This record gives sequence, structure tokens and C-alpha cells, in this order.
Amino acid sequence: MIPLAHYLILSGILFSIGLAGVLIRKNIIVVFMCLEMMLTAANVALVAFSRAQGTAGVPVYDAQVLSLFITGIAAAEVAIGLALIVAMFRARRSVESTALNTLKD
Amino acid sequence: MFESSLCQILFYLLAAIAVLCAVGVVAFRNPVNSAMCMALSFAMVAAIFFGMGAQFLGIVQLIVYAGAILVLFLFVVMMLDIHDEDKSRGSYIHAAIGVLIAGFFAGLTINISLGLPGATSGTCPVVTMCDSFGELLIGDARATSETAVAAAPYGGSLPELSAAAAARMENPSISEADAAAATSIPDVKLLGKCLFTHYNIPFVILSFALLSGTVGAVALARKIRKD
Amino acid sequence: MNMIHNLPWLFLLLPLVVAAIDWVCLNKHPRLAATLSLLSAAGTLGLCIAYLTGLQTGTPDTYTWMPSSLEQLNLHLGLLMDPMAMRMMLVVTGIGLLVHFFSIGYMKGDSSNLSRYYAGLSIFMFSMSTIVLASNLAMTFIGWEMVGFSSYLLIGHWFDKDSAADAAKKAFITNRVGDFGFLLGILLTLGLFGTMNFADMSGKAAGIAPAVLTVTIICLFCGAVGKSAQFPLHVWLPDAMEGPTPVSALIHAATMVAAGVYMLVRLQVSMGAEAFTETACCIIASVGAITAVLAAIMAVQQDDIKRILAYSTLSQLGYMVMAVGLLAGEAAMFHLYTHAWFKALLFLGAGAIIVCCHHEQDIWKMGGLSKRMPLTVLCFMMGTCALIAIPGFSGFFSKEAILEAALAKYPVFFWVGAGVAALTTFYMLRLCIVAFMGPAREHGAEHAKEAGFTMALPLLVLAVMAIISGYGFIANDLVPANGFHAHGFELGLPFYASMGSLVVGILLAVAIYGLGGRTKDPLAGNCISKALRNRLYIDALYDKVLIGGLQQGFAHLMQFLDSYIIRGILCQGIMWLTVRIGYLCSWIQCGSLRAYTLITGIGLVILVLLLAFQF
Repeated sequence: MIPLAHYLILSGILFSIGLAGVLIRKNIIVVFMCLEMMLTAANVALVAFSRAQGTAGVPVYDAQVLSLFITGIAAAEVAIGLALIVAMFRARRSVESTALNTLKD
Repeated sequence: MFESSLCQILFYLLAAIAVLCAVGVVAFRNPVNSAMCMALSFAMVAAIFFGMGAQFLGIVQLIVYAGAILVLFLFVVMMLDIHDEDKSRGSYIHAAIGVLIAGFFAGLTINISLGLPGATSGTCPVVTMCDSFGELLIGDARATSETAVAAAPYGGSLPELSAAAAARMENPSISEADAAAATSIPDVKLLGKCLFTHYNIPFVILSFALLSGTVGAVALARKIRKD
Repeated sequence: MNMIHNLPWLFLLLPLVVAAIDWVCLNKHPRLAATLSLLSAAGTLGLCIAYLTGLQTGTPDTYTWMPSSLEQLNLHLGLLMDPMAMRMMLVVTGIGLLVHFFSIGYMKGDSSNLSRYYAGLSIFMFSMSTIVLASNLAMTFIGWEMVGFSSYLLIGHWFDKDSAADAAKKAFITNRVGDFGFLLGILLTLGLFGTMNFADMSGKAAGIAPAVLTVTIICLFCGAVGKSAQFPLHVWLPDAMEGPTPVSALIHAATMVAAGVYMLVRLQVSMGAEAFTETACCIIASVGAITAVLAAIMAVQQDDIKRILAYSTLSQLGYMVMAVGLLAGEAAMFHLYTHAWFKALLFLGAGAIIVCCHHEQDIWKMGGLSKRMPLTVLCFMMGTCALIAIPGFSGFFSKEAILEAALAKYPVFFWVGAGVAALTTFYMLRLCIVAFMGPAREHGAEHAKEAGFTMALPLLVLAVMAIISGYGFIANDLVPANGFHAHGFELGLPFYASMGSLVVGILLAVAIYGLGGRTKDPLAGNCISKALRNRLYIDALYDKVLIGGLQQGFAHLMQFLDSYIIRGILCQGIMWLTVRIGYLCSWIQCGSLRAYTLITGIGLVILVLLLAFQF
């Protein structure tokens, strides 16, 4: 069977790719997608743990509930975030993060 | 045995596609392509969830992420008429540093995961037991199955799911024979029980978060009238 | 009330509280402030008289101000109520009351803040009482500094005049030099005698090495040199005449400058005469004699009526200090006491003359005043007679006592004293002849009128005291010394010398200045006169050497340190470094969201490395 470690590695790789996207990409929408990917990576780890921590063949459902919550929060975050992006596009005619360079001013 | 190895092959295949698609999300310069990759990646993850026996979560993953959120993304991308990113000078250094940082974290998690006892053996979970002579008994027949299950979180194989145990957990008064007769795990039932009893209040709070998210999104995105 | 034994604390509290009220609450009500100050002076005088006539209230409480684990380091506030202190209090409060009264007339119509003036007078009364009644040296020192402070306030009362502000600073700073020595002396006393209480000092001098004792006494004497304006530090007193004349009378003639003499005599009484070693006595007496001679010489060529009196004060203080050095504490206190009355009289008289001549202070612009303000001139003449020691006036007896003591111990000081007496006679008669006789030389003197009631009354009272205070029947009860006994006329060398110098002085003065009618000083114009008018160049020397040399050199050094080390390296160097580092780091704050994300990522890596791997 697949060891827990491999699930964790998958989770870590997905998370790192998401992090790389957040750091590298300029398009805020893509950055946002990468954020979602990082959350999903966390979900993978949680579900794996839920199986691994289970007693006598029954998963620990607390972990899955937590994962469910993450999904719910992610949905709300996407709603707000995309609305922000729309607002930003209205203000700057761009969704590139290079347009957000007025913090110094 | 065949079923088991099929599961393994499927997992590694799905994981590989998921990672590839994730790379695609970052690599494609057109946001629409990125969104499509993201959908595929999330679908693969949902499949992996199915493989782990978390059917409900898998479905939620599909519906919410690969369905609703993806549609939202696409909708915004279309609505805003976004062009490809322009490549500006100095972004290579920027990208290199970002990859380095991400690589650091990837290496960190891989290193830690592989460092877990039993992670590479892929067989029996680690049981640190000593007999009366002080000899270390790992994976030995003398290590009971209960201990092995209890020690499972260390990184070895995930324990097998047991329908009988699940049935007993769902209804403690069930007879041994009836429990043994159970064929599948009532996943949604057990999850729902946990969610609506133990996590009832957080669940309600989450619903409020979703509501305020909806209202906030409308408030942010609507056109502000000048008058 | 069982607190009645603490009644003497009123001597200090009354003027202090009044000063505070004057200063804080009554800035807009100078009349009320004047009344309050006058009442407080009258109250303390009444209390003083009550104690002198036999009121007994028991020993006042002693308060521990700064407790210490070592008993002898405790700072106590206590009152020493022996006859010497109480009689000194009579002089202080008596003259204080008269000066308060005189001030009402003198300061009438003055545009400055009079509440401040009266508050200053009250603070002075408080401080002087503290010195007089102090039961230990620490408390004396507190009063010592406080009189310096109040003197500063009052000299600089007209602080918008540059000369007054400078004089106030000069007085204060010059006094600090003496105070430094005084503080050293107090600490030495504490170390050697193990106590600062006057009551516990007696008999402890016996076991101490004479050299150490000499140093201690000289250090303590430094305080008196500053406060009583003795020779090296005498420069502040003539300048202090920039203050209002009543202040000059109270502080710079009658009481504060006598504090040095009082303190020395107090030490002599409590430590015992054996503490004053031969060397110390010689130094003290010499300083006194030098001051007496120098001041008398300089007085000869002064034109300002107040400055003449200031130099004569210096000269008389020299007498007193000389007497202390001759271990004739009683004679010193006797002279202090008579001098306080007649010098206050002279100053107040001068004040009345100045006011009546429309603020003219130059005697060569007066003249003929004896016809226009006879009462004031008569009172002034009484003071002059006492000062030049005409037999029968108070000054005669006290000067005689000092001369006798000098003759008995060191005859050289006797002859110095006699010579100074002749000079005193000369310059005082010069003043009187020029200012009071002959025709008026200027407009102001022509229109002079008799002073008003508030100024005349104090003059009359003081004139009476100037005449009678030297006689045994009064002096035995009032001279601030424990168990004083005055003696009357005695024919002998001191009497003849005194008479001789008097006659010489009178003859010289009449010969040179005639009986009025001269319009300018026949002695003026030559180089000696110029030197005398320039105060023998002592002030100029201080300006050159101390201020120009030492102070400027030190200031240059400090400026170098300030501008190069502190400002250059410490301030600007650090600033420069900070700015450089700021420029180096400023690229981080580029304002771009992407860069910030990247930097956050780097920070995250560093954080993980630090926390997880404990680099």
C-alpha cells in the first residue's frame, strides 16, 4: 500500500508549486489560483492524516471536517478576492501585480 | 494483491498528473490555460481523495473547486479581457528566487516526510517494542495488530479500512454478525454526524462567513454610482 | 496645645508662606503683597521680641530631612535658640521690618512687578532666618544657598537693565566659588568632628592634627569670603548696588553680608577657640585687613553714593573678619550689630536722597541737600558719625573693641585698623561735604524735597539706634553674642589712635574739599585716581585671566569637544551612518507588491531555518 509519506510528499509538492506561483506570477488571478492550490495541498495532507490516525480501520472524521471547512473558507475567499480583482481592474485597468507599486507613495 | 497494486499505480499516476497540471498553472502565460490546468489538477486530487476512501470530500472537491471556483475564475478572466503577461526585464531573477524559495519548502517537506520512520519501507508501520532481552522487535510477528494500528501515523502504509469497525462505530449496539456483514463504510453518514454534532457551531459560523463573503463580493464588485 | 514648643518654626514658615503667596497668587495685587510681607516681618519681629523678653516654649522639635543608615549622616532640620541666635534674629527682623516699610515709599510708582519684589524680600527673610537659627552646618548651607538665590533675585529685580542682570549673575557666580569651599569645609568638619550639629562640636577639636584643622577652617572661611565679600571675591558687592536701594540696605549692608561673620563666630563658639589654629587665624585676619584697606582706598575715589557706601561696607566687613581672626568673636559680633544699624541707616538715607533727587546717584551732581531735606541729611549724618566712630556714637564702641583686641594680639592689625579708620573718615566726609553742602549742581538736586513718612520713619528709628546701640545698657542685652559685656570709654592707646585717625581724616577732608563749593574732585585726573576708580584693576584682571584666559580656554576646549567629538562624530557620524544604512536598505521598500511577496518568502525561509534548525 501507499505509505503516508507519499501523500505528504504530494501535498508538499503541490504546496511548493503554489508558493512558487504566488511568488513568480504577475497576473493576480493566477496568483489567486495558486493560493487555492496551496489550500488544496493542505486538504490532501489532512485527508491522509485522517486515514492514518484512524483506529481499527475507521478514519478520524475531525480531520475531514476541518478539510471541509477549508473548502468552505476557500469558496468565500474566492468570492471576495475576485470581487477585489474586479475592483482593482476598474481602478487601474490592469490585473498585474506590477501595477500595485504605489505603497511607497 | 492485484487490487492493491492497481491502487498504487492509480495513485502515482493521478499524483503525477496533478503535479504536472499544477506546474502548468504556474507555467502557462494565458490565464485561461492556467484555469483549465487548475481544474484538471483539482480533479486529480479529488480522485486521490476517492482512493483514500474520503468519497464525500472528493465530491466536494470536484463540485466546489473544479466546478464553482473554476467557473468564477473563468468568468472573471473573460469579463476583464486580460492579455498575456508581458515579460519584463529582471523577472528571471525574480522567478529564480521564487523557485528557490518554493524548492526549499518542497525539499523541506520531502525531507521530513521521508525522514518519518517506515516511510521508505512501504510495508509495516513502525513498532518500537523490545522483548525481555532488549531486542528490538520491528515488524515482528510478536507485535500485535492493535499496536501496529496504533503506531500507524508514523509514515508507513495507511491502515486498511474496516467496514465492520465503521458499522460498529455508527451503531454500537449492533451484533458481531451484523457488523461483519457490512460491506462499505457509510462515509457521508459518519462525516455528517461528526459535522452536525461536534462541529455544529463552527459550521454555522462558516455559513455566516460564506454569507458575508457573498455580500462583500457584491458590494465590492458593483459599480459605484456617482450621484 | 502641646505643639507650642514648635512656635519658633514660625520664624521660618511665616516668611516662606508669605513669599509663596506673594509670588503665586498676588502678582496682580502689589499692595496686598506688600502688606502681607510687612505683616510677616512684623510678626517675626514680634515673636523675636517675645522670646528675648523671656517667653519660654521649650525646645522645638528637630526633623530628619534625609534619613540615613549612619546616624551622623542624617540631615536634620533643627533650630538652635541660644541668645546669640535670638539677638541676631532681632537685628535681622528689626532691620527687615524697617526696610519693608521703607520699600513701600521707595518703590512707589515703580513699574516693575512689585509682588515679585516683596516675595523676594520675604524669601530673603526666610533664608537669613534659616542661617541664623540653623542647628547644624547642613541647614546653614541650605540657608546660605537660599540667601544667595534671593540676593540674585533682588539684585536682578530690574532685570531688563543689562547692568542689573549682569550684577546678579556676577554676585551669584562669585558666591558659588566661595560656596564650593564652604561645602568642602562642611564635609571635612563632618569627617573630622563626626557631626554637623553645632551643639555636639565642642571639645572635639583637641585630637585633630593642626594642619588638617587649618585646612578645614580655611575651607569654611571660603564660604565667608564669598558671602561677606572678602578680598579675592569682593568684586560682586559694589556691582550688587544695581538692585533697589532698600535691598542694598537689607542684604548687601546689614544682614546677608554679615552672615559670613556670624557663621565664623558661630563656629568659633561651638568648636571652641582652640579649633582656630594660629595659621588659620593669621590667614583670616590678614584677609580681613587686606579687604579693609583695599576697600577704603577704593572708596576714596568713587562718585556714586551707593558705591561709596558699598566700599565702606566692604571695609567694615574686613574689620569684622579681622576681629574673628584675632579670636575676638564678641568684638566682631558687636561691630556687626552696630554696623547693621548704622549702615542700614546710611543706605536707607542714601535711598531717600536718590529718590528725592529724581534717581540721581552721582554725588557731584547733588549739593546743598542739607537745606532742602534737613531731616534726611540729619539722619544720614548720624549714620556717618557712627561709621567714622565719633565718640559717643555706636560705631565708636565696637571699633574700639576690635582695635583693643588687635592691639592685644597682633599690633600690626591695630595700626592697619587705625589707618583704615582715617580713610573712612576721609571718604565719608567727602561724601557729606560734596553732597550736602554748597550749592546744588544739577537740576535734580535743586528740586529735592523732604522724603515722605514711610521713608522718614525708618530713618528716624535707625538714627536713634545708630546713636544709642553701642552703650552698655542696650548692647549687653542685644549684641548677638552669648553673655556680652560692653565697656565704656577707656583712655588708652586705642582711644588715642582712634581719635588721631578721626582728626587726620577730618582735617584732610576739609583741606581738600573745603566746606562745599567745589564742582569737581581736586584729586581726580591723575593715574592713582584712575586706578582707584577702576577698582585697582582687580575686576579687569579677573575679566582677563579668569574669564578671558581660563574660562575662554575651557570654553574653546569644550567647543572643540562639542563640535568635533559630540556633534561631529557622535551626532552627525551616527546620523550619517544611519542615513547610509537607510540608503543601502531603501531598495527593500520599493513599494512593489511583487517585491514584498518575494521578501516575505525569503523571510519565511530564514525564519524556518532559524526556528526549525536553530542555525
